[in-house]
This record gives sequence, C-alpha cells and structure tokens, in this order.
Amino acid sequence: MKCFSLCLVILLAMLPAAGRGADAGKNETAARAALEQAILAPEDDQAKAIGGLDEYPTAIMREGLDAWRRGSLYLYTAPDGSRIPYRLDAPGPDGLVGGLRIADGLPLQDAAGTALRFKEKDLEPVDTSAKLRKAIKSALDLLALSDPDPEARKNAILKTGMQQRVASIPLLEARLQKETARSVKNSINEAMALIRLAMPDETAKVAALEELGKMQSLASKSLVQKLAKDETAPPAVRKAAGRTLASIEEHLFWVDFLGTIFRGVSLGSVLLVVALGLAITFGLMGVINMAHGEMMVVGGYATYLVQAVFGSGAALAPFGWSFTLPGFGFAETSVAYQSYFIFALPVAFISAALVGLLLERSVIQFLYRRPLESLLATWGVSLVMQQMFRLVFGPANVPVYSPNWLLGSFVVNDITMNYNRVFVIGFAILIVLGTALLLARTPLGLLIRAVMQNRAMASCLGVRTERVNLLTFAFGSGLAGLAGAFLSQIGNIGPSTGQTYIVDCFMVVVVGGVGNLLGTVISALGIGTIDQILQTLLRNPVIGKVLVLVGIILFLQWRPQGLFATRSRGLES
Amino acid sequence: MKALGVSQREVGIGAFLAFGLVVVIPCLNAFTPEASALHVSGFSINLWGQYLCLAIAAIGIDLLWGYTGLLSLGQMLFFALGGYAFGMHLMLMIGKLGQNNSDLPDFMVFLGYNRLPSHWEPFYSFTFAAAAVFLVPGLLALIFGFLAFRSRIRGVYFSILTQALTYAACLLFFRNELTFGGNNGFTDFKTILGAGIWNPATQRGLYMVTAISLVACYVFCRWLTLTRFGKVQRAVRDSENRVLFSGYAAANYKLFTFVAAAMIAGLGGALYVPQVGIINPSYMTPARSLEAVVWVAVGGRGTLIGPIVGAIGVNMLKSWASRAYPAYWPIILGLLFILVVIFMPKGIVGLPEQIRGCLARKRKRMHERREAEALEIAPVDPAKGTAR
Repeated sequence: MKCFSLCLVILLAMLPAAGRGADAGKNETAARAALEQAILAPEDDQAKAIGGLDEYPTAIMREGLDAWRRGSLYLYTAPDGSRIPYRLDAPGPDGLVGGLRIADGLPLQDAAGTALRFKEKDLEPVDTSAKLRKAIKSALDLLALSDPDPEARKNAILKTGMQQRVASIPLLEARLQKETARSVKNSINEAMALIRLAMPDETAKVAALEELGKMQSLASKSLVQKLAKDETAPPAVRKAAGRTLASIEEHLFWVDFLGTIFRGVSLGSVLLVVALGLAITFGLMGVINMAHGEMMVVGGYATYLVQAVFGSGAALAPFGWSFTLPGFGFAETSVAYQSYFIFALPVAFISAALVGLLLERSVIQFLYRRPLESLLATWGVSLVMQQMFRLVFGPANVPVYSPNWLLGSFVVNDITMNYNRVFVIGFAILIVLGTALLLARTPLGLLIRAVMQNRAMASCLGVRTERVNLLTFAFGSGLAGLAGAFLSQIGNIGPSTGQTYIVDCFMVVVVGGVGNLLGTVISALGIGTIDQILQTLLRNPVIGKVLVLVGIILFLQWRPQGLFATRSRGLES
Repeated sequence: MKALGVSQREVGIGAFLAFGLVVVIPCLNAFTPEASALHVSGFSINLWGQYLCLAIAAIGIDLLWGYTGLLSLGQMLFFALGGYAFGMHLMLMIGKLGQNNSDLPDFMVFLGYNRLPSHWEPFYSFTFAAAAVFLVPGLLALIFGFLAFRSRIRGVYFSILTQALTYAACLLFFRNELTFGGNNGFTDFKTILGAGIWNPATQRGLYMVTAISLVACYVFCRWLTLTRFGKVQRAVRDSENRVLFSGYAAANYKLFTFVAAAMIAGLGGALYVPQVGIINPSYMTPARSLEAVVWVAVGGRGTLIGPIVGAIGVNMLKSWASRAYPAYWPIILGLLFILVVIFMPKGIVGLPEQIRGCLARKRKRMHERREAEALEIAPVDPAKGTAR
C-alpha cells in the first residue's frame, strides 16, 4: 500500500507541470494586449499603466519593455488615424525593414494585405522620458521577481537579496503584497533581511541577523561569515553574527546529513534492485552467475530500443538495420513518447528473462552441482555477451533519455530530492514486496523454496525440479533486466556497464546472508548509505569504496554467514 | 625422488622438457643464423618469456584451486603487486634518462613532486626490490588469508571475497595519490642491472631466468604435493570437516598454500614487467584474475602440467585470435571457456583420460548388452506378471 500511495504522490506532483504548457499561450496574448495599451495610453497615465505590467510575467513582456527603454519600439499611424506599435523585423536585401505588431506578433500590413516596408530614417519611435524609463526599469525588476515558475521566482528574489541594494527593498515589499506562495514569501523575507544586513544602522543589522538565524538561511552563510570576521564591525553585530552563523551551520549539518542519508538510501535502492535478482539466482539456487551484470544490460538496451521505437525508430548500426513500428514514432514532447518508460519496464523484464531461460538451458543446467565451475562458464557467457552488445549497439554508451516526469527535483527543508531518486526508492519497495509475495504466497514460490531447501526431497515428492530451476533462473534474470531499465534512467548503458555492478552485487548478497531476502534488503541499504556517508566525509569516492570493501571483509569475521544465516543441521552446506 | 614416489619416466620427461625450455630455445636464439629454419627470433623469445611468466602464476592458482580447493579470484592482484614492486626498482633505474631529465620518475615530475616519497627510497636496491617481490604479495596474502580462514570463509564466499579485494586494490591503484603512477602505471624502463633492457641479450637472459623460475616453481609444487603436507592439502580439498575432526588445523594449511601461491604469482609478475615493458592497474582488474583461472581450467586443474599448458595455449590463442579476428576474439574465448567447463572438466591434460573413460563405459555397456542378449532374458510383461 505504501508504494501505491508513493506513486500517487509522484503522479500528483507531475500534474501542475502538464498544465503549465497550456496556460502559456493565453498569458502571452494578455501580456501583448496590456503592453499595447500601456504604449498607446495618454502620456499622464503611462507611468501608472507600466506599473501594472509586472502582472504579466512573459518573455514578450520582458523583451517589449526592454525594447521600449532602449527606444527601439516604433509607432505606425494608419491612414484611418489608428496607431499601431511594432517592433522591427530583420532588414531585407533592399535596405527596407518590416515591422512585427506588438498586438499579435504578425507582420505589419496595409489595408490591402501587403507587408509594409520602411526606410530607417522614416521610423517613428515610441516616446520615452526619464520618468517613463525609470518606471520601465522597476517594472522589469519586478517582472524578474514575478516569474510564473515559483522556483525561478525564488532564485531571482534571492539573487536580488545577495546584491544587497537597499533600493530593492520597496520592490520586494511590493512583491510580498502580491505573493501567494508561502515558500516564496519566506524567500522574500530572507532577501529583505539580507539587504538590511548591508544597512549602516547597527540595530537594523542585529535585527536582520537575528531574523536570518531564526530562518537558518543557507544563502546568507557567506555574508554572515564575513560579518562575524569583520574586525571593524561593532561588537554587538559581531556577536549576533556569530550566533546566527552557529545556527546556520547546525542547520547546514543536518541538511547535509539528511541529504546524504537520502542519497545513500537511493543508492542502496539501486543496489537492492540489481542485487535482488542475484539474491534469487545465487542465494536461492546457488548458481554464481557472473553474467548477471550483462542480464541487467540486456534490460537497459531493451529500454533503449523501446525508447527508440517510440521515437524516431531504432537503428542497429552494424547491420544497417533500422526499423519503425507502424503507428509509432511520436514527437519528443508528446505524452505517448513520455510514457515509453512504462512500456519499457515489462519489455526489459521479459527480454532479460528470455535470455536467462536460454542461458539456463544451454549452460547452467549442467553445472548445478559444480558452483565454482558455473562461475567460470558464466564468465565466458559474460565475455560473449559483452562483445555481442559491442557488435550490435556499438562500443559507446547508448543515450537513454529520462521522461520529463522523472527529471527535476523538489526541496523539503533545504534538502533537494530528485524525482528519479525518489522513484528508485519506490520502485525498489515495489519489487521487493512483489518478490517476497511471489516467494511466500504463490504455488511457484512454494516450489522454489522447497527445491532450495532440499532438492532431492522435493524431487522425490514429485516436484519437477528442472522446471522450477528454469523458472527461478528466468525470474532472477528478469529482475536484473528490470534493474537495467531502471539504471538507464540514472546512469549509462554500455557494453561493459554490467561489470561495474557485479562485485558490489555479490557483496550485497554475501553480507545479507545467502538465501534471505530481508538480509539482502538491509545489506543493500546499509552498504549504500555507508558508502555515501564515507564519500561525503572523505570527499573521495574511491577511498570510501575501498573502506566499505575492507569493512565488509571485517564484518564477515564477525558473521561469516552474513546478517541472516540460514540455519541448517547439515555439516556441509 | 624415489622415496616420494615419482616414477623414473616422469623425471625423464620433465628433465627433457625443462632442458628444452631453459637451454635449447635460448641457444637457438643466440647461436643460429637468422635465416636458418631453426632460428628463434628475439620477438618469439620475448613473447614466450611472457607466456612463461603467466604460466608461473597459473601454477600458483592450481596449487590453490586444484590441490586445496580454494578458488581465488585475486591471483593476478598478487601478480601485479610483484610486478609493481619490481617496476619501482626499474623506474628508479631510469635515473636521468627519463623525459624530464630528473632523478624522479617522469610521472612524479608530472604530478609536481619535488622529492622521492620515502617508501620509494629502498627500491634503489635490487636486492630489496627482489625481496619485496615476494614479501609484498606474501604479506597481503597472509593478512587476508588469516582473516578469511580464521572465520572459515570457504568455497564460493572465498572466491567472492578475493574478487572484492582485487577490485578494491584495483580502484586504489588507479589513484594518483598512491604514488604508483595512477592509471598509466610504470613504463619506459631503460636498464636492468646496468644492462639495456631491450638488448636481445638482456631479453634472452630474462627469458632464461623466467624458464628456470618456472621449472623451479613446478618442482617445488610437485615436491610439496608429494609430501605429507600435500596429502593434508588434498584432504582439505575433498572434505575439510573430516580433516578438522582428525585434529589437523586446516586453516594453517590453507594459509600456507595461499601465501605460497601469492609469492609464486608475485615472482611471475616481477619477471613479466621487464619483458612486457609496462605495468598498470589494468593488470589488477577482477577480469584478469578470472581469465587466469580459466587458463588453469582449460589446461586441467589438479595436475601441475595442466596450468602451464593452459596458460601458454590460451594466451597463444588469444594473441592469434585478437590479430586475426579482432572483433570476434572475446566471443571465441568466451565460447571456449564455456565448452571446456561443461564438456572437459579435467581440461586438455585430462582429455585422453576422459576419452578413455568414455570408451571404456561404452565398451562396458556394449558388453552388458551382448551378455543380456546371450542369456535371452525376456522383458517382463507387467500386466500378466509372467514372461511373454
């Protein structure tokens, strides 16, 4: 249930993004109309009209106002006396220029419908005055602060704050009146406090510092730090700055720490998804599949192919093949193309499971009694598969684009969470639950457990162990394929991608305890988190990784069978 | 020799092959004219020197895997460590002949070092470097083996852990901070013991040292497996628990074998580096160690001649295939491994025995059938319960 609600949250989060595109056209028309009105307004009302223009935060408004300020907006008086403001089009070869109407962006035409062309010296610019230019400037500043995207708005506001120009305070106050989003309001307060920090008045400074400390503003850290170190500043200010700095640094520590945990859990989830298939084939069946990484890559390439088929068609370079499916070939922005990933998941699972089926029949079935040799034979398989990938898809990584709804991030209490990282966590939960249910609640799961516990006895009781082996191996490989589909969203897919993960995967399974899914989950999350924490602490990914591996070796001193050992009375397990 | 139960024939054949490798081939290189059909070119000497180094490492793997049942996926790490230890000496011997005309190795100048790191100093001495070739891999194997065997990590888990160790070391050696040249490693060697390293005579000498080392390793391992120690070793392979119950400290036997195999690998690596002229972290990747294990599997484990045959054979195949079919050689190699593991569990050396066994079984079946026909035992009809 947890995972479903998580998916729902993600889907809901996507909705506003979809709606944004439709609004843009309407906003632009309104902005053009308002701008034209302001230009044509009587001189006395113009400044007032300009003051209201920041309500239309669009590109055309910004460009139009900027052109006006620089005197490159022009007026055309039609024969019937009406006046049409326009911008210049690119000059033609004859030295004459055409105009683009502000009202709708179309070329300026006379009544007969032929485009009007002017000589440069005949142009009539729109009047400006010092007062108007000032109004336009402040409207432009406000426009920057009123971008329709709250994130962009927050950035612009904080930028204004960091510039510490006292003149910006009235602008920010004006914006505060209109602002509806709470997070942006907070940013405005933060920006104003930042600006007040630059005021000469001591009490204002201290008040601003206290406010910033209460807000635990990360943006102010460098400024506060400077103030705390400033020998010339009054002692009260320095003291307040020290207090604020301590508060900010404490906050920063928690943000870093929780951010690291979040990244660690998501890295652990990736490991978990990749290692789960191995936990099945290695943990349950005892087959050491060195080609597990390549199974994953099969899933990755399947995702790539699905994406290509949904897009402009798949091309396999070495054979000169390219194919498209009738009815496919969607535009990049279309909903159908964006949904390719949903379809890629089952395709990745099935293709990897089929390869697993083939591998089991052709190689593994002869080696169930010889685990060490299955290691060597499957390594041979992995060599062959890697080279096949190279021949079919080329030696370079293939580009797999994430659908838009997996891009981007959201911020909770200054901790950035990427959608794709949240998605991998949810996805891992889903897969683990599915696998656990399959093993615990289905007839196949019962058979798998029976064969794993005692192959000979299961066989005596009429279980077709060969078929169970086949299905289990295919299922494990399919899980690897799913992991590959997922990896294509956060990493690269290339012929040797599998090799990067294989050692880590085996570690996860060994530490977790062979034949135990819960152990695999805990060890994957643990290893992922510890890896991230060490990387952050040491600022060196390699040393962190080496320490993790050394830690694992030492851990196995304490628990040679892993976290959760399968208890058995057998002497030789 | 007789006391150990080695037949006259084995000693004879062994001595003949050893004489051929150590004396005849270098003589053919040195004393025959180049046009002669018997002439062995300098290129071949160098190439065979490399093969023999790999064969030395393979013997170590077999001592571990074939005789003690420990599949280590980290033998090429020890090989590379031996190579690095000797490579450090060779780097220092370049002296001012390097590109930067400095006493420091070129990569250190490039990385902005002003003076030699203190752990490099002793490697000016050839003796120290030669000792390090054995001690560095041996020490690492001792520490790792002690921890692993103490907690009774065995079978597949041992393999996976050694692979992790290799992977960790490989990642470390790719870093520049380790002062071992990062991913470029060591190269551009100039002299060894005062002689130009690429002189035909030096290469011939290196080849001879390699061949002698190979023979020595073979003799040592053969002797070891014939002693009481070797018996316990094989007992550990076949049933460790029974060895424990009989009062033997299996862990100590395993530890000794592991350290010995690591030192043998280190020796192979140290001889390999001056002949191939480069050592870098790519020799440490887990894939290299797996490949080395496959040589042993192909040649035939559990025999000491098998790994030598496998190492030389697979590498010859590799250098031929990678030239003749550059796009397909990994596929050829991979398929070979799969087929050998599935159909030839005893490798090339075990092939005659396998065929003999196969034929014997077939003959036995034929014989049984003929006997059954002769006795005319009629099949029983289950419905009636009487003979038809």
